[in-house]
Amino acid sequence: MRASLRQSVLAVAVAGSAALAGSGCDNTITTSEALPPLQAASLDSGAGSWRMIVLSGPTQFTVAAPAADTSAAYAAELAAIRSAQANLTAAQRRSIEYWSGGGVLRWNEIVRELVARFNLPPAPRPDGTYPVPDPENPFADPQFPFANPPYAARAYSYVAVAQYEALKTAWYWKYQYHRPSPARVDNGITALMPVSDLPAYPSEDAVLSGVTVEMLKVLFPAGVAEITQRAAEQRNAALWSGKAAASDIAAGLALGKAVAAALIARAGPDGMRNAVGNAAQWQAFADSAVARGEIPWVSQESPPRPPMLPNFGQVQAWLMTPTEVVSERPPAPPSTSSNQMRDEVAEVRRTVEQLTREQLAIAYKWNDGAGTYTPPGHWNDIAAEYIRDARMSEVRAARAYALLNMAMHDAAVGCWGVKYLYFNPRPIQLDPSIKTVIGLPNFPSYPSGHSTFSAAAATVLSYLFPQAAPDFAAMKEEASISRLYGGIHYRSDIERGKEHGARIGGYAVGFAQQDGAN
Amino acid sequence: MQTRGSTVLPFLVIGLCAASLRAQTVDDGLLMPRGALGTGLLYAHDSWTQYWEGSVKRDNGNIGTLTTQSVTWVGGYGVTDRLSVIAMVPYVWTHATQGPLHGMHGLQDITLAAKYQLLSTPLTDRGTLRAMVVGAAGIPAGNYEPDFLPLSIGLASRRFSGRFTLNFRAHQGWFLTGSTAYTWRTKVTLDRPAYYTNGQLFLSDQVAMPDVFDYTVSAGYQRGRLCIPISLSQQRTLGGSDIRRQDMPFVSNRMNFVKLDGLVMYRGILLGISRIVSGRNVGQATTLRSGLFYTFHL
Repeated sequence: MRASLRQSVLAVAVAGSAALAGSGCDNTITTSEALPPLQAASLDSGAGSWRMIVLSGPTQFTVAAPAADTSAAYAAELAAIRSAQANLTAAQRRSIEYWSGGGVLRWNEIVRELVARFNLPPAPRPDGTYPVPDPENPFADPQFPFANPPYAARAYSYVAVAQYEALKTAWYWKYQYHRPSPARVDNGITALMPVSDLPAYPSEDAVLSGVTVEMLKVLFPAGVAEITQRAAEQRNAALWSGKAAASDIAAGLALGKAVAAALIARAGPDGMRNAVGNAAQWQAFADSAVARGEIPWVSQESPPRPPMLPNFGQVQAWLMTPTEVVSERPPAPPSTSSNQMRDEVAEVRRTVEQLTREQLAIAYKWNDGAGTYTPPGHWNDIAAEYIRDARMSEVRAARAYALLNMAMHDAAVGCWGVKYLYFNPRPIQLDPSIKTVIGLPNFPSYPSGHSTFSAAAATVLSYLFPQAAPDFAAMKEEASISRLYGGIHYRSDIERGKEHGARIGGYAVGFAQQDGAN
Repeated sequence: MQTRGSTVLPFLVIGLCAASLRAQTVDDGLLMPRGALGTGLLYAHDSWTQYWEGSVKRDNGNIGTLTTQSVTWVGGYGVTDRLSVIAMVPYVWTHATQGPLHGMHGLQDITLAAKYQLLSTPLTDRGTLRAMVVGAAGIPAGNYEPDFLPLSIGLASRRFSGRFTLNFRAHQGWFLTGSTAYTWRTKVTLDRPAYYTNGQLFLSDQVAMPDVFDYTVSAGYQRGRLCIPISLSQQRTLGGSDIRRQDMPFVSNRMNFVKLDGLVMYRGILLGISRIVSGRNVGQATTLRSGLFYTFHL
């Protein structure tokens, strides 16, 4: 207060510029999708008879009949909800609000976060070799898994299919027992989430929490603490909101876990554990290319890194037989010694050197490289808005994600099979003067994984949301060409990848047309 | 207009520091005299081979040596004997000696600053004590790409900083300066719809940038047209995450460092060298600088 006038004026000037900076600088950024409380457009009461993918049918797992609504046990459960609602904390209300946006959408968001967290390649050892992530020791360096695009595609698909199978089963049993939500039977209980005529037993929220947590424990074992906590939150939110009673939740949780066990039994021998391969196999790819008179792919990393998941092409697909995986493959790429290849290399070089700011932005928008949720995650992100806006029931949302992610998993299987069949070099290997504006993926060039994923995804989403088909087509085109702008793919990688992806996406559409959900 | 060679010392000490930071500070204890108009060009060559991935020091065969060169135009004007205004804008080039990544180049951020002398008073009979405040704003000059570190030319955030400097100059020419600043930074917009940092997936293209605190102590000798300051400075980013193992750097990483800097300025010619001695999420950069300044007395 004793400062001279001049000093005060200056202090005000400095503080003023600080305030200006502060006002333009609201540092809160939304981490999760804004999801309004889910009021499903339809109950989808017939979902118990929709076609299964892995389970034999909805009665593969039996859900025992609940206690009567008039029983003392159920009355005690209702009393517990009334008491919980009388003492809700702000944190509990936030949790209810968060999960009211829909469990399928929320879990999809959480899986995307896990993928981004685990999508980092191992660092090289001092001797120039690379350690392999070890599922038996997931917390070590390197962490397990390295959630690269094929791993992520498979993970998204296992979670989505498990959720879908579990929810169809839950729907079947819901309509066997017709037990209403607590908020519908007890005037003392307020519906803090939208409560519909959907029977509450078994609780769909608990089914989702049980099935998802068990799948994620296998896929992302180092994330177990956080995953378990989120799952418990979801069940509590269902209880506190008056949507489900304790017995609804217990039955749902048990069902979810049982379905997860069936999916985990399929995942164990699906070929993933052999996908990394060994040094002799890696050499055989190169030898095969040389024998065909082609220049084989060589890792451009320093020190050279083994190629990413060379045997992923042998992993079991969801909707294609091994024969179909092979028969849908695109033709061979242009020979590395052909004029066409020379021209395509020149096009990559020219494109990168003349790149506009808009093209650079497109390369970054779709880069989805290390440390991100990957291209399949990007398409899950895109789908989320459409699922939300369509106000899909949980079981229908699970169907959408199952179809999308089965197609992208099959795209990864198909694409990786072709990549290692031809073992084609990247543009900068054929012309070392080419520099890339995004990270260079460490696996063979032909065909483009982004293009294959994007075409498969756009095909499925266009079937599910036909009014937005032109948007999906535009996104697919942009995602695909972004790889040319980035300097990491030839045009023929992109064109053949898109065609291949569209054919693979067609299998999911074919399934969806006959699954009983239309 | 009367012109002559610069007798005023270069009015800026520009910290084109760690390649990934490029904080530009206005942290010396000197002012332009009233009516003096100074201009100059500064060339900096900054390179590092080792960097800190979080607290782990390493090199990277896919980067080799990362070199950042810049040519900065600076201008200053003495509005009064107590108030100077300063502007500068660098053109920056980046280059990695190994690996596939493309270098980038372009105009980086325009900095505008006003420097005001609060106090200038004899201290005993040995010298003069001065106190100054500086307000500065940094604004990206172009639409460059900030999401390609360490090859990006800048962080694309708008910055506003407040600085306080205390300077004691002995009549014999020795001087001692202490300077500290707080910098607010606005959000950065990326070209992608989601990113992962600080243990969280953000479904947004907006990145919150943590504020930055820095301080510098320098000592040196000035006589006539010669000035030789040596300084030690520290930057602390007040938030942000570490670069994860084998990840790329990210725009909002916690970029910290301690830097040792030596300069020789004579008749408007500047030569300098600095070295990062410790850091976090920055390269261990060595920076060579040379500059030419000229002052007109209007």
